[in-house]
Amino acid sequence: MFTDLRFRLRALFRRDAMEQELDDELRFHIERETDKYVREGLSRAEAERRARVAFGGVDRIKDDTRDSRGISMFDTLSQDLRYAWRGLRSKPGFTTAVVLTLGLGIGANTAMFGIVDRLLFRPPAYLIAPDRVHRVYVAYMWEGAERTERTLEYTRFVDLTRWTTSFDRTAAAAYRSLPVGTGEDAREMPVATISGSFFDFFEARPVLGRFFTPEEDHVPRGSAVVVLGYGLWQSRYGGRADVLGKSLYVGNAIHTVIGVAPIGFVGITDESAPAAFIPITSFAGSRNTWYFQNYNWSWLEMFARRKAGVSVEAANADLSVAFRRSWEAQRAQDRLPTATEVRAHALADPVQLSRGPEAGPDSRIVTWVMGVAVIVLLVACANVANLLLTRAVNRRREIALRLALGVTRRRLVQQLLTESMLLAILGGVAGLATAQWGGNALRALFLRAEDARAVLTDFRTIAFAGAVTLTVSLLTGLAPALHALRGDVAESLKAGAREGTYRRSRIRTGLLLFQGAFSVLLLIGAGLFVRSLSNVRSLRLGYDVEPIVYVEGQKRGMSFSRTEANALAERLVEVAAATPGIESATLTISVPFWSNEGRGAPFVPGVDSLRKLGRFMLQAGSPAYFRTVGTRLVRGREFTEADRDGSAPVVVISESMAKAIWPTKDAIGQVMRIGSDTNPFMTIIGIAEDIRGRQIAGEREFWYYLPIAQYIARFGEADLNVFARANGRAEDYVEVLRRRLQAEMPGVSYVKASPLNAFVAPRQRSWQFGATMFVAFGGLALVLAAIGLYSVIAYAVAQRTHELGVRIALGASLGDVVRMIAGQGLTFAVAGIAIGSIIALWAGQFIEPLLFDQKAKDPLVFVSVAVLLFVVAMIATLRPALRATRVDPTVALRSD
Amino acid sequence: MTDRLDLPQGTLDLLILKALSLGPQHGWAISERLHLVSRATLQIPQGSLYPALHRLERQGWIRAEWGASDNNRRAKYYELTRAGQKQLEAETAAWDKLTTAVALVLKMA
Repeated sequence: MFTDLRFRLRALFRRDAMEQELDDELRFHIERETDKYVREGLSRAEAERRARVAFGGVDRIKDDTRDSRGISMFDTLSQDLRYAWRGLRSKPGFTTAVVLTLGLGIGANTAMFGIVDRLLFRPPAYLIAPDRVHRVYVAYMWEGAERTERTLEYTRFVDLTRWTTSFDRTAAAAYRSLPVGTGEDAREMPVATISGSFFDFFEARPVLGRFFTPEEDHVPRGSAVVVLGYGLWQSRYGGRADVLGKSLYVGNAIHTVIGVAPIGFVGITDESAPAAFIPITSFAGSRNTWYFQNYNWSWLEMFARRKAGVSVEAANADLSVAFRRSWEAQRAQDRLPTATEVRAHALADPVQLSRGPEAGPDSRIVTWVMGVAVIVLLVACANVANLLLTRAVNRRREIALRLALGVTRRRLVQQLLTESMLLAILGGVAGLATAQWGGNALRALFLRAEDARAVLTDFRTIAFAGAVTLTVSLLTGLAPALHALRGDVAESLKAGAREGTYRRSRIRTGLLLFQGAFSVLLLIGAGLFVRSLSNVRSLRLGYDVEPIVYVEGQKRGMSFSRTEANALAERLVEVAAATPGIESATLTISVPFWSNEGRGAPFVPGVDSLRKLGRFMLQAGSPAYFRTVGTRLVRGREFTEADRDGSAPVVVISESMAKAIWPTKDAIGQVMRIGSDTNPFMTIIGIAEDIRGRQIAGEREFWYYLPIAQYIARFGEADLNVFARANGRAEDYVEVLRRRLQAEMPGVSYVKASPLNAFVAPRQRSWQFGATMFVAFGGLALVLAAIGLYSVIAYAVAQRTHELGVRIALGASLGDVVRMIAGQGLTFAVAGIAIGSIIALWAGQFIEPLLFDQKAKDPLVFVSVAVLLFVVAMIATLRPALRATRVDPTVALRSD
Repeated sequence: MTDRLDLPQGTLDLLILKALSLGPQHGWAISERLHLVSRATLQIPQGSLYPALHRLERQGWIRAEWGASDNNRRAKYYELTRAGQKQLEAETAAWDKLTTAVALVLKMA
């Protein structure tokens, strides 16, 4: 074995020396043989001739010897590669088309893989034994349905830790958005509040200082120490080493910096990388002091590492027993049914949320898009297979000749596969480039910034691209190889350069139909998503989004008297409204898709139980409210300065609410009451257009609006929340508003500002994403299908030159020729459209839930796609068809 | 030419090993020896020797060394290795068994 290898390697690397030796050896033999004949009396020349005859063909023997040396594997490969490379270079157009096609296909898949991998498979960085680390979920029956929760109480975490034996480590973590710094410097940042045991889950070492220990994480209030995230250390401290021992205001307390986490360390989270890590007891202890005794404040997530040798089932059983015991312990505090009644149990599931019971819609959409990307790749493969096949058919004579000359079929197939592999590898390189530069937008949609790392440095993505490339080379090489195997040597050689009649290849037809059908499918998908996106976009939310800035004041643990708070709120509105470029400002208590206030169903005299009509949401604002957010009044009047505490209580209600409560009467002038029976009735003074603040689709929402002054009089104090309407895009005014309003905030209290769109846009994201991806991939598939059709028709024309020459010579008109050639292409197109549409009709049911107010069977979309594909097919067919008319019968007939 | 035989498949290796069991030789000498010893009965194209020699060398049954030939020219000498010796014994035994068996069947009355 060893000699064999050494021999082969030597043969491989010292080829020139080996060749020389072989030459010497054979020459020696022939010389000795010649000498022999000379001794027998022959002339030198005759002796040499006889010696050569006795020896046999020197070149063939050299070949055989080389083969038997066992280097043929490398030799033939490099020979094939050089042969393939020459072939590809001689046809740059063909090669570019194939490489681009494969590059796009592979690139799309590689980019998508990076995302799917991150969301579903890849464990968090630095995690030790990721297959044994779990996120703990608890489940129980509540109001007739099973509830699964990952947000637990501190007490529960303690119980599940001390009453289980299946785990060698448990940890608690709560990822929060907390203010870091004070005054002008204060910014809300993601902060990980974690138990001291959490760091033990990772093999991460601090780049500076140390991590905190379980001893610093203690009840009731942990040590005020902070480990900086690598990013914050760089951005705020410039990566300086003297940061240790510095004080940093995190949350509601001053913390001492004790260490810096390594780059890429985030703990376990799907959200933004934390700027800092603090003990979980330090965070909770600054909020209240009872969190470690009570069972009714759930705010943290629990992670556990299973002991080696303990099965997941055993761990689940163990956890469930502990959870039931903990549930019984809770019953000493809260009135609850027994653990058995609620069927309490607990689960150790994968740490990735997308793989747990609470997986969001993102993973579903990503899976869909991955499927679409695979289809695009298949279409690309079909295309390339078709092109290669066409080439193989063109090279029929060459192949037949080589077979006749004794090249084995195996060798021939090897050569064809080498060619497709070379193409696939070039395509793979192009694909990586596509994924690297074109995939950034994609990753930004789904991943947090730190995860959107370069494709080219990620081993898993590269490996995936490699695997895809290999598959592609087999898929595309198979058809031509099979074709080569089937060919009949004598037949092909006899046929000459032309074949008497044009033969349809079933494989080629099949590939073409496949491409056409799937392009139609993707384009219909694209059409549906585009329509659904435009539905979302054109949906009137009932308020303006683009120009609105939302500013939220945070007291950060400071206490204000009611008067102080209300005065501060008023001052914030005044300052905001006085800011240049701001048209008006209002206080607000509800923020669409963020935090909405509900105070139960109102009471209306003479109307029974409004509750069963639906949910009623409450908004309160300054007199400038409607003007600021752009909600139109349908009838009646809005609030004025006169609607204050002490004046007659008034309310504006939404149109749907008015119709639901007073279907036959005018709602204006009617009265309603909220809260306790002692509250005064409010008179309805206006009807506002409907708004959507909770869900973008579904039932109409019921909203009613109070003047902020009367709201405060009834419910205490206002939040320090302000909507400001900018004369332009909100994004341009966020920072100036934040700075000006921050200046008004006393002590450590602070404001944060964001465009309202930041809350609304995520609701439209899945539609946006679906539309973008389907349009991109559908367009790609269409281009590929057009190239495929074009190449096949062009090839057919080339094949039939002779036949066409005969026809034209016999008097066929140019129209006849065009009709004949184009007719064939368009038949393919129509068949592809039909098949694709049928699949789309069937597949529509799966995609409809992802669409917004859009039926999957939309005739407009189906017809447009059919027309589009038909037109593209026509263009792809026309050029070769026109070329067919230029066939010169005399030339065509004389050739060959 | 009717008294010359084509070599049965696979026996060339055996003959080469046997020829080398008498001592190191270069290719031409092996060819001559086989020619003489078989009394010119075996039809071995001289060139076909070399692929076989290189194959045997790769398999580790013989090894090669460049040396000076009797008329003082550089020649490549082959010699049997220990593994080659064993292989020769095994193949000889197998050959004997085969020919005996074939002979028995052919003599069947």
